[in-house]
Amino acid sequence: MKDQIERLIQEQLAREAQEKTRRHFIKSCAQGLGGLALSSIFMGCDPLTKQPKKSTTTFSERDLNPLATLPPHYGPKVKSVIYLHMAGAPSQLEMFDYKPKLHSLDGQDCPQSLLAGKKFAFIKGTPKLMGPQAEFKQEGDSGNWVSNFMPHFKKVVDDVAFLKAVHTDQFNHGPAQLFMHTGSARLGRPSIGAWATYGLGSENQNLPGFVVLTSGGNTPDAGKSVWGSGFLPSVYQGVQCRSKGDPVLYLEDPEGISRDLKKSTIDAITKINKEEYAKYADPEILARINQYEMAYRMQIAVPEVMNINNEPEHIKEMYGVEPGKESFANNCLLARKLVEDGVRFVQLFDWGWDSHGVVRSGSIDKGLRNKCTQIDRPITALIMDLKQRGLLDDTLIVWGGEFGRTPMQENRGNKKMPFKGRDHHGDAFTMWMAGGGIKKGASHGQTDDIGFSGIEGRVSVHDVHATILHLLGFDHEEFTYEFQGRPFRLTDVEGNIIKEILS
Amino acid sequence: MDVLKQLLGRLHPLVVHLPIGFIMLGLLLQAYDRKKKEYNAVLSLIYLWAGISASLACLTGYLQYLGEGYAFDTVKWHLWSGIATALFSFLMYAQLKGIQAVDFLSKLPMVGWSVFFFILVSFTGHQGGNITHGEDYLIKPLPNSIKSALGFDTFEEKEISLNETNWQEALIYEDVIKPILNNKCVSCHNPKKAKGELLLNSEEGILKGGESGAVIEASKASESELFTRLVLPMDNDDHMPPEGKSQPSKEEIQLVRAWIDAGSPFEKTIAESSLDKALFLSFFPQKADFDYPDIEIPAASEEHIKTIEKTGVHVDPISKSSNFLSVSCINQAAFSDTDFEALLPIKEQVSRLDLGHTKITDAAFSKLAELPNLTILLLDHTAITGKDLHLLAPLKHLKSINLTGTALKPEHLEALNEFKNLQRLYLFGTEATPESVKLNNPKISIDYGNYQLPPIPSDTIVY
Repeated sequence: MKDQIERLIQEQLAREAQEKTRRHFIKSCAQGLGGLALSSIFMGCDPLTKQPKKSTTTFSERDLNPLATLPPHYGPKVKSVIYLHMAGAPSQLEMFDYKPKLHSLDGQDCPQSLLAGKKFAFIKGTPKLMGPQAEFKQEGDSGNWVSNFMPHFKKVVDDVAFLKAVHTDQFNHGPAQLFMHTGSARLGRPSIGAWATYGLGSENQNLPGFVVLTSGGNTPDAGKSVWGSGFLPSVYQGVQCRSKGDPVLYLEDPEGISRDLKKSTIDAITKINKEEYAKYADPEILARINQYEMAYRMQIAVPEVMNINNEPEHIKEMYGVEPGKESFANNCLLARKLVEDGVRFVQLFDWGWDSHGVVRSGSIDKGLRNKCTQIDRPITALIMDLKQRGLLDDTLIVWGGEFGRTPMQENRGNKKMPFKGRDHHGDAFTMWMAGGGIKKGASHGQTDDIGFSGIEGRVSVHDVHATILHLLGFDHEEFTYEFQGRPFRLTDVEGNIIKEILS
Repeated sequence: MDVLKQLLGRLHPLVVHLPIGFIMLGLLLQAYDRKKKEYNAVLSLIYLWAGISASLACLTGYLQYLGEGYAFDTVKWHLWSGIATALFSFLMYAQLKGIQAVDFLSKLPMVGWSVFFFILVSFTGHQGGNITHGEDYLIKPLPNSIKSALGFDTFEEKEISLNETNWQEALIYEDVIKPILNNKCVSCHNPKKAKGELLLNSEEGILKGGESGAVIEASKASESELFTRLVLPMDNDDHMPPEGKSQPSKEEIQLVRAWIDAGSPFEKTIAESSLDKALFLSFFPQKADFDYPDIEIPAASEEHIKTIEKTGVHVDPISKSSNFLSVSCINQAAFSDTDFEALLPIKEQVSRLDLGHTKITDAAFSKLAELPNLTILLLDHTAITGKDLHLLAPLKHLKSINLTGTALKPEHLEALNEFKNLQRLYLFGTEATPESVKLNNPKISIDYGNYQLPPIPSDTIVY
């Protein structure tokens, strides 16, 4: 208890010290709040000598440059992560989790025993089971199932490891996406990418360490919190880049401002900042200087790395890119370029996977198939391209949605829907990983005959996180950040590394 | 004042060496001088100093006893024998000075008193050592046979040896729980010590419990002290094993918990106890999971690393627990052959080297050959032709070479036949093709790249 209070006080003091300059402090002294602050000075004294601790004039590289690289706990398997999130939740039953039994049960009432105690977003009453709307084949040497919605993907099926029985405890998009990316369905936690950049920094000092690319015409339901930094310093949040228009908003110089003028402006600001630092020795000032200079370098480096036009024609064709548009294919190619240039974490969100069957574009047999066509070639190309460059050894690709979809056809309002659709389902869905440290062609976990629940090798969202952190070289139980008086982890108090898919 | 007390107390281990030194000097001099007795004046002075310093040692020792919270039982022998040593030093002084009051000492020959004094000071010192280092400090390094011959407990670490094939047949108590208890609990809870009247070395002892009752509540780990005490906070007095003793790992604690929850079977196998395999995985032999050489090397000096980093080259430890370094020129595209000199001070540590997109040429190979622990080498998108690739053959740890997008001449790859450990080779974007590369080193898997995804009709269908 005492320990906790002490930690809370320490944290509060650290935070105040970060936010307040000495001028603030003297001012608040004068205003009578000094007593409180004064106690902090004595707390900073060595009790034996009653002398203030020697002020440190040497700072770690991290104080000055928050993205400076740090080593992980143990030997990492990958240096970078590309996380492909299909926002809206793709149907595992039409892509990777083949359930032949469901064919024969098509149109039958779902047994009450399955529905008892379950919550669904839209399903009412007794829904009917719906057979797979895709045709499946076993592909590659691994013989893992892939549907005809993903005709290209079969060429790389031996490079990926499937998780067939992932489960989540959320059944609405926002919270489920938050859970999938921050380890908590509530707001306020840092995203995986933020944890990774906080823990490892970023090698390329001209690019952000954590880049987010979106496609599909919309951003995820959970908003920007899915790539936020939560309680970590905000420098670790994802930087959203666009494949259409300016890659980073407001990064271009305004009209009439030349790069030289910009440079002299930054030089002037840096000079003032340095004088400020000479007076107050606050490392935050140095970090600020560094950030200005990085932004200046980014003005050159970002447009360069974000320009896919310079890629050779055959590569562009392989991904199926559409220069000048916002597309998942463009983003996949960009992801490769970013990882090639040492970006730590690239997060792709593709919107439009919520196949309820209300509209044609959101139907299981039509809309979903179109969405699959949009990602099939780019994802296959991304894996092949990383592989031929030797980058797949150093990169982890994660694919998945925020949950899966029901084996039952959706019956919103207990009525027949205009199109075939499936409701949200968190009990069992498919994800896959590929890249360094991943067992090629593996498939872990199994669902029951209709794909309702995992019956073997069930893994949780925390397990997925633990595995991603493990591959980056972290012990997910040791990797913590002190906040509100206690250490926080991405995996909270759970998470087991999924050893079955590790090589 | 408290600070001063504590500080003086902590000086005790230093101060005690003064009287020991004086007394030993005195005794040696007495032995040397036993015939002529020429040095009595010096000897008396030595014993006076011994007495004064021994008194000081007593004082600081007492302060330490107060300040560090020792139990009186722990220190009493040391305390009294220490005071005796101080007093006896003064007695020896008085005797040598010929003071009347101590005439009674003359009843025994001086040699006898000297021997007694020697024993006294040794005993005192030994008691002190036992308090500081623990009673088994001197015994520990002895082999078990000598220990038991001397009548001391022999304690052997027992290993849990489970693997993929035997884990289900292994006995849950004998092969798993017993070794855990043996390694972490039995050193205190054995028939000789029986702390808390609890024995954890046998089934009977575990079932009988200790002075506060049973330690196992049938099938309820959360109510069994054998488990709950393990997970109490470290600063709780009831936490077991006590602070400072070696603690069970979290996997071991989970096993104890699962074992109790399963009804604490003593005879069953793991399979019969229907315990989850996951509980035991961490006791399976772990395959080496580190991509870099399995050898110990000294750490590179911070100074060298800083000097290199100033040139814009990244130098990072592979991990916190490794001295191997990953060096990357990702921010330093201007890196050229002449810049190599800078890397030489850390040549032993460099195990991953990324020179991709730099200005290096074939001249680099002779320098690369000087990096004995190089494991992963990236030379992609450089002007190298591979002319001197053969120079890298002696690098016995080299596992992966990336030559994509280089000016590589396929004929130079023949040198790779001599590479002992090379596993991966990337040749995408070079002139090399499966036809032009003549290699018969079955260990190497070559990726020529140029993967194609030809259009298929469904690419353009919109449903």
